[in-house]
Amino acid sequence: MVISPVHYIAVPLLAAFLMPLLAKIHRELTRIVPGLVILYLGYVSVVLMNQVMAHGTIVEVIAGWNAPWGINLVYSPFTGFLASMMTAMAFVIWLYSYRFKKVDSQPALKYFILFMMLVTGTIGIVLTGDIFNFFVFLEITAISSYSLTAFYRDRDGAEAAFKYLLIGSFASAFILIAILLLYTQVGTLNMAQIAVRMHDVPTHMKITILILFLVGLGIEAEMFPLNGWAPDAYSQAPSPVGVTFAALVVKAGVYGLIRIIFTLFDVHGAYEYLIVMGAITLVMAELAAIRQKSLKRMLAYSSIGQMGVVMIAFGIGTNEAVFGAIFLMFNHAVIKGLLFMSGSYLVYNTPNKEIQYLSGYGMKMPLISLFFSLGALAIVGLPPFAGFWSKLYILIAAADNQMIGLIALILGVSIVEIVYYFRVVGRLYFGKPSKGSIMQKPTYGGVIAMSLLAIVILVVGFYPDVITPYIHNAADALLDKAQYIHSVLPNADLSQIQNLK
Amino acid sequence: MNSLLLIILILLGGAILAYLSKRISPMLSSIVSFLAITSAALVFFFLANDQEIVKISLGDFVLEWGLNAYSWIFGAMVMVMATLASLFSIFYMKGKDRLGYFNLNFDLSVMAMMGILFSLDWVSFFIFWEIMTWSSFLIIVYNGISEGKIGIKYMIFSAIGGYAMLLALVVTRSQIHSFLITDLIHSFAGFSGNMQALLGLLFLTAFGVKSAVMPLHVWAPRAYADSPMSYTAIFSGLLSKMGIFGFGIMLIAVFSHSVDGTIFVYREVLAWLAAITSVIATFYAVIQTDAKRLLAYSSIAQLGYIVMGLAIGTKLAVMAALFLAIMHAIYKGTLFMVVGAVERQTGITDMTRLGALIRKMPWTFFAALLSIIALAGIPPLGGFVGKWMLYESLITSDHYFLIILAFLSSTAAFLYSFRFLFGIFLGQEEKEFENVKEVPFTMVLPMLIGSLLLVVFGTFPGLLFKPLASAMSFLGMGDVSWNMSMLSNGWGDHVDTLDVINSVVIIFVLVAIFLGLKNRKRTRYVSTKDIHTSGEIPTENENLTYAVDFYKPFERAIAPVMKRKMDFYYNKFGEGLETFFDFLRRVYTGNGQTYAFYVIVFLVILIVFSQQIFF
Amino acid sequence: MDTIDYYQIMSIGVYGSAIGLILIGLYAVLMKKHLTKIVIGLSIIDAGINLLFIAIGYISNGTAPIYSSQGIDLVKTGTPMVDPVPQALVLTAIVIGFGVTAVALSLVIRLYRHHNTARIDQIKSLKW
Repeated sequence: MVISPVHYIAVPLLAAFLMPLLAKIHRELTRIVPGLVILYLGYVSVVLMNQVMAHGTIVEVIAGWNAPWGINLVYSPFTGFLASMMTAMAFVIWLYSYRFKKVDSQPALKYFILFMMLVTGTIGIVLTGDIFNFFVFLEITAISSYSLTAFYRDRDGAEAAFKYLLIGSFASAFILIAILLLYTQVGTLNMAQIAVRMHDVPTHMKITILILFLVGLGIEAEMFPLNGWAPDAYSQAPSPVGVTFAALVVKAGVYGLIRIIFTLFDVHGAYEYLIVMGAITLVMAELAAIRQKSLKRMLAYSSIGQMGVVMIAFGIGTNEAVFGAIFLMFNHAVIKGLLFMSGSYLVYNTPNKEIQYLSGYGMKMPLISLFFSLGALAIVGLPPFAGFWSKLYILIAAADNQMIGLIALILGVSIVEIVYYFRVVGRLYFGKPSKGSIMQKPTYGGVIAMSLLAIVILVVGFYPDVITPYIHNAADALLDKAQYIHSVLPNADLSQIQNLK
Repeated sequence: MNSLLLIILILLGGAILAYLSKRISPMLSSIVSFLAITSAALVFFFLANDQEIVKISLGDFVLEWGLNAYSWIFGAMVMVMATLASLFSIFYMKGKDRLGYFNLNFDLSVMAMMGILFSLDWVSFFIFWEIMTWSSFLIIVYNGISEGKIGIKYMIFSAIGGYAMLLALVVTRSQIHSFLITDLIHSFAGFSGNMQALLGLLFLTAFGVKSAVMPLHVWAPRAYADSPMSYTAIFSGLLSKMGIFGFGIMLIAVFSHSVDGTIFVYREVLAWLAAITSVIATFYAVIQTDAKRLLAYSSIAQLGYIVMGLAIGTKLAVMAALFLAIMHAIYKGTLFMVVGAVERQTGITDMTRLGALIRKMPWTFFAALLSIIALAGIPPLGGFVGKWMLYESLITSDHYFLIILAFLSSTAAFLYSFRFLFGIFLGQEEKEFENVKEVPFTMVLPMLIGSLLLVVFGTFPGLLFKPLASAMSFLGMGDVSWNMSMLSNGWGDHVDTLDVINSVVIIFVLVAIFLGLKNRKRTRYVSTKDIHTSGEIPTENENLTYAVDFYKPFERAIAPVMKRKMDFYYNKFGEGLETFFDFLRRVYTGNGQTYAFYVIVFLVILIVFSQQIFF
Repeated sequence: MDTIDYYQIMSIGVYGSAIGLILIGLYAVLMKKHLTKIVIGLSIIDAGINLLFIAIGYISNGTAPIYSSQGIDLVKTGTPMVDPVPQALVLTAIVIGFGVTAVALSLVIRLYRHHNTARIDQIKSLKW
């Protein structure tokens, strides 16, 4: 069998539908099969990434209909990097949730089916080269996210899920209308061809469509003021799902936003819009985070804030900045994953998941506390951990564009970030232990998952070169619009294509 | 193998080994840490030289490490004092929990300091700077006295400093496309006036935090006092000197290549801030009743002197500042070890309750005495030489007001110096300390070595003048004339310190011999209560000495100055900010419909203003 | 005044009703406090968008885009086919809308059981 990008979508989707049958054969299969599927996807990632690094973008045509008529998958260094990152994070999340809460097989079955759908949807969003297909994957992701948010019956999951659904429906409505309008203007759904024909679209129409896309995808990318659902969903979803949101779902949303702005449209002002909205998102989220009582809610706001930084960096739009942004996306996935995983064990039995009950847990749960502290040090960008490098790259890029005020803003907000993370770390290790709190012993899978993430943080921190070549290629691929179009449509007329950055 | 890399790796490996070996035995962890620092020190003194360059390419950056005359001095200081402190730490920390954690961070701090000193480029400088920050944060909260609150304060200020530096260095890079420190030094003159002002301000803020200059000092007293004493010995003695190290680079090497206006203002402002810092901190030190706090405030005051010297920037002032920096590292390190020893043996550091430990802990007293003499700037010990040079440099550079402040604070320093000695070692014997014994040899030894160093450098300051002069000429101050034991002042007079010192020593020895001969055979052990006051025999719990309310009149005199602490305003500011944040986050009302409303409103706003935003 | 352009009138009517549906749905979502009404509002928005899709794909006097001999014959005689793509998209969108509505209604039931109310402004245990 030839390895191709379509396996990313076909295999987990197939597994999701087969799982009820497999569960009839043996209960344990529902837990094992997702792992095997993701492992296979990991293998696919390794093979394809090598291929892409050597030979450039792979375009997979589905069912023999060539672009622009058929649906195609574009596995460029950028999308490939994101897909591989998501696969790796999915594997870690699977390890973590393998025995998370020893539930009977029925919830496990539901959980893993939805999880597989979520993986399919998010990776599909990243890989697809067709705008309507993009919408479909977005909806697959959304529906499975809503369901997973409400997975636990004993929490306020349903409330969070309903808010998410309400806002998410708006997002899909806007995106659908935008696609419709776009189709009336360019008569195609293929993203490369849309990009080619974009310059013929009247400017006011172009801008209207862009705004609809920006609002719709802004919701998925947790942009302020469209992110009211996000903290609720993060904090009420089961912890592995919280990790999935941070590592997969929001990344897919940001990807959509970036693809629309960088490749499809050639409108001035979109980059500045990203910078401004990213900055507002960053400030609002971090300021809200500092006053949180619940640990998971704090992590959620912090996650939104990091997405703000990612948007700022993409908005700067130079190669360096985009490099920093992709690096930060990677770091955020890994570090926030570690924080959510360890944090959820810390607050496992505390009332309302509140931080104030965490005093002295460093003695009781040394390993988990160590993981959390490592994550906290890394996410605020202290050297020599992974978060430092991405921050440095982004700041350098901003400085090269003479955006000193912006740097000062990012750094100022980082101080806020340091305050709330170090409050928790200080409390973990040096608060007086309260009596009677019951510790939850982490599962073996959970410990392995967290150790893997911790190792990645340390390795990337000490030797970023393990990852930077891939990110450099990814940044080049994202910025080279003509190359994207050429690889999808070899005969397209590229003369009208203009790169704004 | 390259010896600079070797030093860093030894310390890093030592940190990890110390953490792991705690599983075998807590004591082993401390010993491993000591051995690591000692072997790093040996490598530093016997192998390292200024020919070696380490180049590590990471990501798109090249980290360059090297050694020069300037960093060698600081490196030597760090290695010696860290070795002493870690030796002291073995017994001091015995029996405490989480030793692996403590030693890990101890070694990491030392590694970070050496890294800062080796760094030839700003990226590695910043990396090590931040490692130093978080490792010291983790040690400050080690005792957990205030539920991490002082730790947070330290972290906030360090972050302000660190991020000011980060901002400065990315801006620098956008100007000159290089992270090398030497490139900044050489191209600083070419920057526009605004850029010079901005960079200067940012770098000075960064270093000002670590060296606890006035508006940025509020973290320091509690942070110094709350850490374990064996760590404070290097925290106050050495970590703060990293700020001085940076100040040296900026004030001497970089600013000398600048347009005069702004930088001149910075120098003057900084000198004034430093002088005010030293006066206020000295006042605070005088009214403290806790020995740790007293030393902490005294550290801030002394750092004020050092920064003042660097800010004045004449040859003599810089020489004085660097000399004082080294002396301060030694005597403050020793004094914190002394307090640590007292704390270990008696369990407290409150000077109103302690007393008369001189008979119980004679060696500790001896070390304390020498260090206090050096601190107060009394000949023949090191502090005197430094202060002399500093005063003289202030006079010759026409800073007459500053010298008044400097005199004021150094006179007030006598008050707390005396109180420290008296409160702990002299005065009335307390019953509860009857069974106190001298600390073990491994704790006495580092204190004695420290005091010995003070004597040596006090007597022969020329031993230090030579490397200091070469360091200063490395920084671009040209030739600095120096003479073994000879000080020359602005009017061409020469003061041979050796003569002064010899006479003092001879007087001391003669008096000692005289007293010894006179009192021979008539000595009798007398306890404090073994007296008759007007025919009454004092009872057991009667107080005969002034350990409580020691400087009441003085306190009353300075009360108006002390009324409002800087800290108070910072706390109010922080509270105000948090209230504001609390208000802001209410946009997340919790009502899903409101969120939907936001989306629509946002969409409408975008469409209405679409012509202005996009084109 | 020879013939009334029925196509013109009809298309205005269709577009108008599509946009009207969207606005009605929006009103329901933003103003109604009952959860079920909000879900109904979301469905109405969906319906409006779907109608819009179909209207955009329609061509005056067009025939169904069916690939059959009869269809081919009609095209050959000059009758245009309506654009098949929007119709295909609408099918997908309807299915997705159905899924979302189902999830939404199940959440409404859960919320009602949990809070004993279905008013959205009273379900605010997660805030700030």
